[in-house]
Amino acid sequence: MTKRLLSATALCSVLAATATAQTYEIRVWSGGSSEADSYRWEAIEMAADILEREAAIRGEEITISIEYMWEFGGWAEFKQAVTLAAEAGDAPEIVVTSHLDIAPWSQAGYIVPVEDYLDLDAWPLSDVYPNLMDIAAFNGVQWGIPQDAESRPFFFWRDHMRAIGYSDAEIDALPEAVLAGEYTLQNVLEDATRAVEMGLVEEGMGFSPRVSNGPDYAQFYQSFGGELYDPESGKLVLDRAAMTEFYQFFVDAVAAGVTSRTHIGTDWNEWYADVANGNAAMWHGGTWHYGRYLSEGNEDFFGTVAFTLIPAGGTEAGRANTITHPLVYLVTDQGDDDVQNIAAQLVEIATEPRINTLHAIKSAHLAVAESQSSVPLYAQDPWADAATSVLLPHANSQPNHPDYGVYSEAMWSGLESAWTGVQTPEEAVAELEAELVSVLGDKLIVR
Amino acid sequence: MRQDRIGFLFLTPALIAVVLFYLLPVVMTAVFAFTNMSTSTGIRGGDYMLTEGSLRDLREQGLNEATLSHLADAGYVVDAEGLAALAEAFGAPLAERVEAALGGQSFATGRDLERALRDLRAPEIRMTRDRKRAADLFQRSVLNIRHDTAAALAADLSAAGIPQSEQDPIVEVAYTGWSWTTRNFELLLSLPSTARYAINTLIYVALTLVIFNVGLGLFLAISTFYLPERTAATFRAIWFMPRILPPVLYVLMWKWLMWDNGFLASALAPFGVERINWMMHSEYHAWVAVILINGVVGASFGMIIFASAIKAIPQTMLLASEVDGATRWQQVRFIILPQMRWPILFVTAYQTLSLLASFEYILLSTGGGPGSATEVWAMAAFRTALNNYGGNLQYGMGATFALVLVIIGTALSLLYLRFFNFQALLAKPRIER
Amino acid sequence: MQEQRAPNARHWPLIAGLVALSAPLVVMYLYQVIDTVTTTPPGSIIPDGVTLGHWRFLAGPLSEGGPSVWSLAGNTLVFATCTALVVTSVSVTAAYALSRLNMPGRGFFLGGLIVLHAFPTITLIVAVFLILQYMGLYDTLTGVILVKVAFELPFGIWIMKGFYDSVPWEIEMAGVTDGADRFTVWRLLVLPQVQPGLAALLIFSFLSGWSEFILPLVLAPANAPQVLATYLAGIIADDRFADFSLFKAVSIFYALPVLAIYMIFQKKLMNIYGGGTKG
Repeated sequence: MTKRLLSATALCSVLAATATAQTYEIRVWSGGSSEADSYRWEAIEMAADILEREAAIRGEEITISIEYMWEFGGWAEFKQAVTLAAEAGDAPEIVVTSHLDIAPWSQAGYIVPVEDYLDLDAWPLSDVYPNLMDIAAFNGVQWGIPQDAESRPFFFWRDHMRAIGYSDAEIDALPEAVLAGEYTLQNVLEDATRAVEMGLVEEGMGFSPRVSNGPDYAQFYQSFGGELYDPESGKLVLDRAAMTEFYQFFVDAVAAGVTSRTHIGTDWNEWYADVANGNAAMWHGGTWHYGRYLSEGNEDFFGTVAFTLIPAGGTEAGRANTITHPLVYLVTDQGDDDVQNIAAQLVEIATEPRINTLHAIKSAHLAVAESQSSVPLYAQDPWADAATSVLLPHANSQPNHPDYGVYSEAMWSGLESAWTGVQTPEEAVAELEAELVSVLGDKLIVR
Repeated sequence: MRQDRIGFLFLTPALIAVVLFYLLPVVMTAVFAFTNMSTSTGIRGGDYMLTEGSLRDLREQGLNEATLSHLADAGYVVDAEGLAALAEAFGAPLAERVEAALGGQSFATGRDLERALRDLRAPEIRMTRDRKRAADLFQRSVLNIRHDTAAALAADLSAAGIPQSEQDPIVEVAYTGWSWTTRNFELLLSLPSTARYAINTLIYVALTLVIFNVGLGLFLAISTFYLPERTAATFRAIWFMPRILPPVLYVLMWKWLMWDNGFLASALAPFGVERINWMMHSEYHAWVAVILINGVVGASFGMIIFASAIKAIPQTMLLASEVDGATRWQQVRFIILPQMRWPILFVTAYQTLSLLASFEYILLSTGGGPGSATEVWAMAAFRTALNNYGGNLQYGMGATFALVLVIIGTALSLLYLRFFNFQALLAKPRIER
Repeated sequence: MQEQRAPNARHWPLIAGLVALSAPLVVMYLYQVIDTVTTTPPGSIIPDGVTLGHWRFLAGPLSEGGPSVWSLAGNTLVFATCTALVVTSVSVTAAYALSRLNMPGRGFFLGGLIVLHAFPTITLIVAVFLILQYMGLYDTLTGVILVKVAFELPFGIWIMKGFYDSVPWEIEMAGVTDGADRFTVWRLLVLPQVQPGLAALLIFSFLSGWSEFILPLVLAPANAPQVLATYLAGIIADDRFADFSLFKAVSIFYALPVLAIYMIFQKKLMNIYGGGTKG
């Protein structure tokens, strides 16, 4: 009898002890990531350590275990997995994803606003670039915190540019020429054609664009004066003329032999190896590709490559531009305020300059906060410094709109049809318009 | 009757599986097809939340400006009600301090009020979380609050002073979930892309079926029939492998054969043939690849069926024809082929259905590209509902695609049932009277 | 024809034709194996060195924190084995009922079976997801097994029905006349007669489970229940590895059980369609 009583007491005390020691299991799923992006989840692990220590000092005992996952096959599989998991009520506590997911996921109730848990006016969040914070907000609510920044510039292989007649000074002045609209996509076609004709690069390698769908392509629509979104009315915009010219540009590039008709779907590795080693005269890509160029054996990036905004299309309405497509930390709805609070705290700590800089430099992304430029690791990195100053001030983002996914998907398949010659640009735009008008109805403005 | 009970007992597990994973899904798919379900609306039904976006929609719908600005500007107000709640949650001293400093003031956003509260440096609300809880007590705006039911939102609207008569459109706009619609079917009929998927599916099924499943299948069956057993077995094994190899692996082999630096490009390079991606160079290349990849798998099915049918032909018939001096070709033409009528019909019928519903090999090889040149109906259903770059899952539209396929598939099978003399299948069990 | 004899002159044109037709497949098979142990300079078709480096995935995960192929193989084995066992045991009873027992609605069930036989199941996957979710089985191996079993059942029942149909009635008659009930007759007399069918179905559904790609991809996306098919597709899609030799080594590892089963059970596998098409 006494024995049983004793063991019961022992059990109770064990239960009591576990009750005060809070345990949190936080899962982090990261989309579109590779090993270089490991700080997307390692930052959360570091934050967990810090948060545990802080709690210990306050006299609370919390244990946070982090489980992470990043190998999903691709964006499509990642988003499907998160969406279905959220539908099943089993979403990971923290998601690192495109800011474009905020609109649909907030409406569906998969995520909770971080502003419900974090003081946006306090460091470190007060230090995050306001335009990036805006990109992680939707309908005036701060749903997420920017995890990184980037942009998708235009690149030139210096040797080839020299060979077709540009002086070093002219090459160095390209960024300004592009910005001023003096060097346009029409010049790109001419110079790429020359590079192919002179045998500097193989046919189809004069201009080597991104090999798969991505925000990059919206840049070319913008180059021809297209706008994605009308902030006034909150509607998506289809600018027929700009869209047609944008498609036409790629069709012209194929016709001129500077871009391959079957470029889409080229193996990424092959593409990296080509552009990093001067097998292409011009290309466009992400700022984060910088890290990859080095590992592909390009030891003198700045000596071999020049970069600019995406040039204007050369039409009246066109403008040079670049799109930044930051990933954001989102906290999902777990139906448990405590868990959501811990997840939000972790995101906040992970945003501290030193920690975020680890990600920025390891993955060749750009800083999300002002003071990261004072972190030695960041300040000493030549690329981060150059890219931040040349590109970011001119970067815009794609709109957070629940239907932007439909829009961009349709825009891409139109481009693909035109590019591969399945349809003419006019036909492709007509089909795009028909599709968008019937699917989006009055949520679309056609110009 | 004892037999009945055994019968149903024996059938029960299968019936449960069929109900759970066929009947129920078909019913649900039919239901989804009449909704606008997507990632944004979720599947489970929605909540009621007013946002800046909904206010814009309401303005467009012509809701009066007074109500709109009332909704937009309600914000946060440090009023008696809020202070009372504050006193209850955090104690009277804090409430008194807040009243003294901020009493009567309004704030556009929670963030503004939190700033003001922070400046008070009150110990009770030093922690961010407490400060937010305190600020929430003063929220008079109904924006960005999720309500479980329409009634809850309506109650909040009433509390905010929105007249009953104006609440209906507001509640409707605030609904975040899915609603019933027949638009999917209208879209299906009007979108150029659906016509393309239909045509693609037709090309895919017809060419794969005729050239490979039946044509090559027959050729393999007949030619191996005339070969010595060993040689025949080798060729059958070669052609049977694709059927049992995992699709991911099988398609990998084709990719290796056909990509830019692959076998085909490398083998042809010395002959001056330009290195191209043989799988994706143009829509024609992609089609050839898709049909080859599916066809080689399909050919083995035909080969096996036809081979066993040929084996069933009485030896005497063939021997007699040989004695009569018939050539091989005549033998094939006048003895074997006539016997193949039913097997060919069976393969055609069965494989039409399988091909209609299949897209795994296409997904893994061309991914439906270039453009959507090789995107077939079943794959469009999958992609629309579950798998696309933007993560915009349109369950309703995807279900509409699926439903069409289910209807066509069922209709075809019923047709085949009539055609293939169903009664023969039904041969009455002989033990029961 | 059937009789064994050496290829004679009459066969050569036919053999030549078949060889030409089969050449691409044979090339793919050969290189599938060769490439896993050799290195080949880019743009060439002739290997220039021997290496075991492509097999490095056996020693440990390809990427830090990634899954090990051994645990994936374990998952795949569990998945395929369970699928095979459940499909076979459910089919073996259901098919008997449909083939031999006179019960109300038999015609309806048989018709239904044929309709389900080539059903566009995969397009119903959103609804299937919801059902799994309500059962609490989304993102579990058990859930994927259940769905896979359900999708394989019509085929399994169909095959087994074919085998039952060819069992002579006399066997059962004899049992029933001796006073045994139908269940005993089935268990002791009929079941042994359809053993070849059982074996064939077991093998076939095992292979089908082993190969399955889309179901685990959609219904069990997390790391824990991943199988080799989704893993292999994942590394092929992953732009960090552009190494066909690595893919091929992984896929040979993946295909080994398939090849082994094929070698052992060749005849049975080829026969399964024969059994399934009577009628």
